[in-house]
Amino acid sequence: MSNIAGKSYAMTVITPIPKIWAWVNLLKFWYSKNIRKKKSFGLQTLSLIHYARWVIIRPSQFPRLSSNQPKEDLHYAYMLFFSNFNGSWSQYVDSFHMAIPKGLDRIWKHNFKYPKSVPLQPFHRYILHNQIWTDHYYNAYPLASSNDVKAAIALRAALLEFIKQSENMSPEEFQKAYKAFLFYNQQHIAKMHSAPVINLADQAKVERVRLIESYEKTLRDEHGKPNF
Amino acid sequence: MANLISEPTPLTVLSPIKNGDDGSQTFASLTRKYLQSLDIHEKSPMAKVPNTFLCRFFVLNDVFFEGSPGKVDHLKSKYLVFCCNFHGDLNTYLREFWQNAQQEAQKIWRHCVAFEQVHDAESFIDYIKKCELNTTIYFNGSTGLPLDEQLKALYLKQEFSQFACEKQGLSAEALFEAFQEFVERTRPADLTGPTWKPGQNTL
Repeated sequence: MSNIAGKSYAMTVITPIPKIWAWVNLLKFWYSKNIRKKKSFGLQTLSLIHYARWVIIRPSQFPRLSSNQPKEDLHYAYMLFFSNFNGSWSQYVDSFHMAIPKGLDRIWKHNFKYPKSVPLQPFHRYILHNQIWTDHYYNAYPLASSNDVKAAIALRAALLEFIKQSENMSPEEFQKAYKAFLFYNQQHIAKMHSAPVINLADQAKVERVRLIESYEKTLRDEHGKPNF
Repeated sequence: MANLISEPTPLTVLSPIKNGDDGSQTFASLTRKYLQSLDIHEKSPMAKVPNTFLCRFFVLNDVFFEGSPGKVDHLKSKYLVFCCNFHGDLNTYLREFWQNAQQEAQKIWRHCVAFEQVHDAESFIDYIKKCELNTTIYFNGSTGLPLDEQLKALYLKQEFSQFACEKQGLSAEALFEAFQEFVERTRPADLTGPTWKPGQNTL
């Protein structure tokens, strides 16, 4: 179990919302996205996010794949929040609270007992109470932050263009052009390294699997049958 | 409200897990334990699935009670949740998922209701679509470009940053020559390599 994969943290939060407000929210978010063309609720100001999403699920929408599977009978609809971001839990929750409290409240305000994003401590408690831990988290680029990915894309495009433009230059012309290239692309140039938390999270995962296996051995006899 | 959003594509899947046990552990526990035992980073089964950016699996045991005067809710099934961000269309992604990680998919979903009906890529696509939830709000703070482009760009950023540090103060001729060697070695336009591997966590 780990919410960390390299430089990314996986946050999952599930919160109840009265059914009528779920419909209102669905309508409101649809209007915001399709009519007002506003999609981000201020999230673009937080460059530490790779991807985030909200999913509203009404009781009748829980997948039921067989008549033997009991039908869900719930008092509330539920809102699922999934985010992939760089940094620690508190850095992320605090940046939400500091940078986009109104955007956040617009999304969550109809959820049952949502305390609002200001003041901070009740908001922390609300997220912690409703957070679910990840059993397996995969990141295709654990060494990179979201900003690294964006910078890398921009740098590669600039580099390909520079290579084309500098093809027939003399060494002196090239040197001048190269210095200009570095000047204009300096914000994209930086080496990446693994953060200490990557190694700690990986070690913790190995140790956890070892403990589970050793615990299981004590519960089973020599033929692998349960010993309790 | 459907996932008609430009790339990357978000996928959220809730697959009900069978109620019951194998004689010693519930199917939900067995699913969770298998997920927790999976290798990570480049050895994760998801590293084999093309164009997967970030994804997670977990078992949703139940919903939370928020306290008085709220009403108590309990789920009647536990659910395997798969949440993924990828490049491309859903059918292609799921087909490639099955083609590249069939055994792992079968192990991950084996205790889920009706998964015994899945026996090939097409039935896997049908199954996942039955369990798919619509995304209400999606925020892309990164990019939706194909993964090979992203990984090549990251490789190049690392190599070029090293080059820029090392080659300071060279004469015009030496710099010119070093840059030609750099381009020859790193092949910036070639997405097949050299590049980073999906899930690579060491340099």
